[in-house]
Amino acid sequence: MSLSNAVYFVREAYKSLSRNRLLSFATISTVTTCILILGMAVLLTMNAGRFMNRLESDVQMIAFLDKSLSQGQINSARADIEKISGVKSIEFISRDESLAELQKTYGSEYDLEATLGTNPLPHTFKIEAHNPQEVPQIAEKVNQVVGVYKVNYGQGIVERLFQVTRWVRIISVAFIVVLGAGAVFLIATTTRLSVFARRKEIYLMKLIGATDWFIRWPFFIEGIFLGVVGSLLAVLLLALGYGALLQNISSMTLVTLISDTVLLGKVYLSLLAVGAVLGVLGTSISLNRFLDV
Amino acid sequence: MLVQFYNVSKIYPNGVKALDDISLKIDRGEFLFLMGQSGAGKSSLIKMLFREELPTRGQIFVASRSIVRMKRSDIPKLRRNMGIVFQDFKLLENKTVAENIAFAMKVVGSSSRDIRQRVPEVIKMVGLSGKENSLPTQLSGGEQQRVGIARALANRPLMLIADEPTGNLDMETSLGIMELLYDINRKGTTVIMATHARELVKQAHRRIIILENGRIASDTSHGELPS
Repeated sequence: MSLSNAVYFVREAYKSLSRNRLLSFATISTVTTCILILGMAVLLTMNAGRFMNRLESDVQMIAFLDKSLSQGQINSARADIEKISGVKSIEFISRDESLAELQKTYGSEYDLEATLGTNPLPHTFKIEAHNPQEVPQIAEKVNQVVGVYKVNYGQGIVERLFQVTRWVRIISVAFIVVLGAGAVFLIATTTRLSVFARRKEIYLMKLIGATDWFIRWPFFIEGIFLGVVGSLLAVLLLALGYGALLQNISSMTLVTLISDTVLLGKVYLSLLAVGAVLGVLGTSISLNRFLDV
Repeated sequence: MLVQFYNVSKIYPNGVKALDDISLKIDRGEFLFLMGQSGAGKSSLIKMLFREELPTRGQIFVASRSIVRMKRSDIPKLRRNMGIVFQDFKLLENKTVAENIAFAMKVVGSSSRDIRQRVPEVIKMVGLSGKENSLPTQLSGGEQQRVGIARALANRPLMLIADEPTGNLDMETSLGIMELLYDINRKGTTVIMATHARELVKQAHRRIIILENGRIASDTSHGELPS
């Protein structure tokens, strides 16, 4: 593309945008709304995902051992558990350590050992899985190892948690797909109107011998402009809103939001790119039909 | 040989047979009238020259290239060899005379320098000097058609295709346009003109092809019109 052609394309795009000022404005605000909701959904999903990942990684198994086991039997039980596929780590916690841990939570006011007489706790293994989702199956296998009499991993709660995270993800994705389709449809409508306004000119250009791309470029520039300006506004609003949210919520320790500026920057840039892609998609839907002369 | 039609037929999807086994040849530098009633097939034949339509059967060569087998991406190149003049002029109303002509050059990628040089040339050629900055709506029908012809000439085509160029003009204005077309032909450009106007054709003493129901009814070289 020569420079003088590039200038011509941009000028044509600008003319068409300013000729349809009201429609351009309407399209930009719709794209803004769409990308804004899309961005909110993305940030929500990311934060929810992170929250869920945290919860999930907290999911670990505690295997309680028979009290009567000798050190050799404990070692062989440990070896058996390590052989189970999906096990990431295994840590032996002796009954004395468990009691000391428990003592810590009660503080110095109660002397547990004195109260109880003997230590009632069994030896335990703390087991982590590579994939938290596999915990129930692994727990089942650990339970069958000789010397293990019980495995705890928050049965029931874990299954519910996974179900909830799955639905949050599915619903977010569905939401994003529907909104994206809406934005494409709107840009396609805008392009169709501006193509329609210039259909005689396009026909003439074709008969004079213009290439398809010579005719396409101004419309693509127009579509990309609408998409990018709309998403730029959305990103600005989103960055302001999320920034304010971060500042106000940081004092609450229960929920921590993603505050990694590099990651957020990537999200914002991606939203801009999505705006441009929506512009290209919308334009190409409307354009090809008119070029067939 | 500039244009060759071999056994060309055109049947539209609605079943209308527009052209029926047409074979003809057009030499470089010829001036050719294409006559016939509405629906005789003139427009279909003209549209095939610049490949707006494809034949249902048969072969068409323009400058030795088959336009039937031509790739879509080669169509612009074909059309740049042709200047097309329309009955309804098809001028862009928001552009001046000079801008309308410059537009046709811009569209095929001419440089700004070429455009600045060529536009006044063709405006002078069609006798519109002084009207460069007029808008089409400020011109008479004849003047508008002159702009259309100037636009068609701007890219130095091998042939000029005119579909009823005088269809919207009175007799006197039409004669002026005809003089201009003869002049262009004398300078070496092939001219193919579809028309209803028997009066114009009679005085021309040029080749006349008459179409009837999609067939060539007569092809005479010196302008004798059957009564």
